[in-house]
Amino acid sequence: MYHADPPEVTKKLREMFYSAHYVHSHIAHFYALAAPDFVLGPDADPAVRNILGVVDKVGLPIGGEVIKHRGIAQDIQVMIAGRSTHLVWTLPGGVSKGITEEERAQIEEKAKSCVEFSKFTLQLFDDVVLKNKAYVDLILSEPYQLKTYYMGLVDQNDKVNFYDGKIKVVDPEGKEVAKYTPSEYLDNIAEHVEPWSYLKFPYLKKVGWKGFVDGKESGVYRAAPAARLNAASGMATPLAQEAYEKYITTLGKPVHATLANHWARVIELMYASERLLELAQDKSITDPNVRILPTETPTEGVGVVEAPRGTLYHHYKTDKNGFVEKANLIVGTTNNHAPISMSIKKAAMGLIKKGQVISNGILNMIEMAFRAYDPCFSCATHSLPGQMPLKLTIYDIHGKVVEQLERA
Amino acid sequence: MDKPRVAFFDFASCEGDQLQIVNLEEDLLKVVGAVDVVSFREAMKGHSDNYDIAFVEGSITRRSDEPRLLEIRKNAKILVAIGACATIGGVNLLKNFQDLESVRKFVYGDKFFQYETYPARPIKAVVPVDLEIHQCPINRDEFVMAFKALLMGKKPEFPNYPVCEDCKKAENICVFEMGMTCMGPVTRAGCGACCVVEGSVCWGCRGFIDHPNADSEREVLAKYGLSVGDILKKFRLYTGFSEVSK
Ligand code: SF4
Ligand code: SF4
Ligand code: SF4
Repeated sequence: MYHADPPEVTKKLREMFYSAHYVHSHIAHFYALAAPDFVLGPDADPAVRNILGVVDKVGLPIGGEVIKHRGIAQDIQVMIAGRSTHLVWTLPGGVSKGITEEERAQIEEKAKSCVEFSKFTLQLFDDVVLKNKAYVDLILSEPYQLKTYYMGLVDQNDKVNFYDGKIKVVDPEGKEVAKYTPSEYLDNIAEHVEPWSYLKFPYLKKVGWKGFVDGKESGVYRAAPAARLNAASGMATPLAQEAYEKYITTLGKPVHATLANHWARVIELMYASERLLELAQDKSITDPNVRILPTETPTEGVGVVEAPRGTLYHHYKTDKNGFVEKANLIVGTTNNHAPISMSIKKAAMGLIKKGQVISNGILNMIEMAFRAYDPCFSCATHSLPGQMPLKLTIYDIHGKVVEQLERA
Repeated sequence: MDKPRVAFFDFASCEGDQLQIVNLEEDLLKVVGAVDVVSFREAMKGHSDNYDIAFVEGSITRRSDEPRLLEIRKNAKILVAIGACATIGGVNLLKNFQDLESVRKFVYGDKFFQYETYPARPIKAVVPVDLEIHQCPINRDEFVMAFKALLMGKKPEFPNYPVCEDCKKAENICVFEMGMTCMGPVTRAGCGACCVVEGSVCWGCRGFIDHPNADSEREVLAKYGLSVGDILKKFRLYTGFSEVSK
């Protein structure tokens, strides 16, 4: 927009800030919102199926570690940018301040701790989920599969990148169908609207909107952890790559299992931690020249990063003073709006059988299809205090209500 | 004594304020331990009419939001608005200064008429509010302070002097000296002038102090080269509601 390319150190600082963001975001999703289903079981009593129940089962010190590392990641963000939410540190052409050697050393120590914690989390996933055949079968079971296109940002080596690169799209067979720069997004994505939702439904423009269906003929695509791992050919750091290889060997590629998002998320947690450490060990990161002053008149620009919940597009058009005149955002969850709706439908159809009593466990297993996508929504359905109000209505073929189940 | 029952609700918001609460980390466990959280998102049947304190995030942007808010007001003994969207309307208000039909057309194209909207407003424009915790997003420490006061049955005190005071204490160089402009002189302090500390300017997200000298602020902005249109834009970013509510 300002036609100003920030100095290298600024890009590193921004990526470091962003890696820290991934660390706490992925920890929150995994421990508070995903782990309860696996550590305690999908049909455990909802009163204990929450983060406190997890802590109870795996031990209080672990709960302390979870909170500690979320805190650490946020401390790093505050150290770099002043605050972790709605920061004002980013400026056209750079950032408002750099970091000192002392801060760098502190971040390095904290990042090391995050890498250790990521190792622990991968191990926990292994012990609790992968060593339990019933869970692996659940992940791979038909009600939780969708064969869609997948989107993710990749670096020059085709590895997952959260901060910079090109947007790559692969088809349901894993074949690359598009690789584009942020400014080309409108050639590749269009948005469908439905009267029942304020949120739009993005789809691949060249394939087209064919309704809420999966498969190669339908432009529905998915973003976020499992999709990123499908789109790229691996991870750019050693331990994350190792974990990625195990993931692909176990599940195949591309991975169509919605619940695999949890595993992919833990692999990304490792990548974010390792990348954080790499950047903290880069001594050039304390270079104080963190901004170039933009000299050209601002016009228009598109920026893309991988948000924890999916590819994030920001498109702005300004007047000559830099006042925004037009803005278009496609945010992480929005990419997955159609697939989320489809996953819930498929899980409901696969899990609810004729004549069967609908239990709380089944309700939860339907919710799991949707919780796998996104922390924003999953907060609503699985947060600390307990449950979201869920209403299930089963209609017969003539539209008559057969059964209704409501959970307060 | 029974623990106070607390509920969280949101309207048009980015949930940044609730995120600040979730991000309290160690303090979160203490906060949650001191109360019974009965709802975190939407009224839960059977629980909903039984809470003492309701925290409400976001602004009201549709007529159909009003009954829900009225219900919350009816049920809660204390209603606390959290975050700029809830306390002063926040950035949602920007749409009020444009034609609502063309705004919707821009977003939803020819199906725009299916999407209900009306001029955005803060919570207090619809129901009486007992307490407002300002800022975008709210400040974690201030939230904990206010929360503790509420539990003790006290009314928390918030500063009623301008951000400039915080800014001086933080030993910043005034941005007016550096060719930029700032809403600090009319904005409620309490954030430590954090945006100026972080290398930016004050945008006014904590809303006006009780008796802002807005005329003087406009004069200063004009003196530093802002046109009438630009001054309006400055005021409308966060404090546009005061313009229409007069
Ligand atoms: S006040 Fe700020 S953080 Fe809170 S909902 Fe509004 S935009 Fe989000
Ligand atoms: S920078 Fe803004 S808040 Fe600070 S003294 Fe100047 S006008 Fe006041
Ligand atoms: S400095 Fe101004 S814009 Fe920044 S937090 Fe404080 S009141 Fe809000």
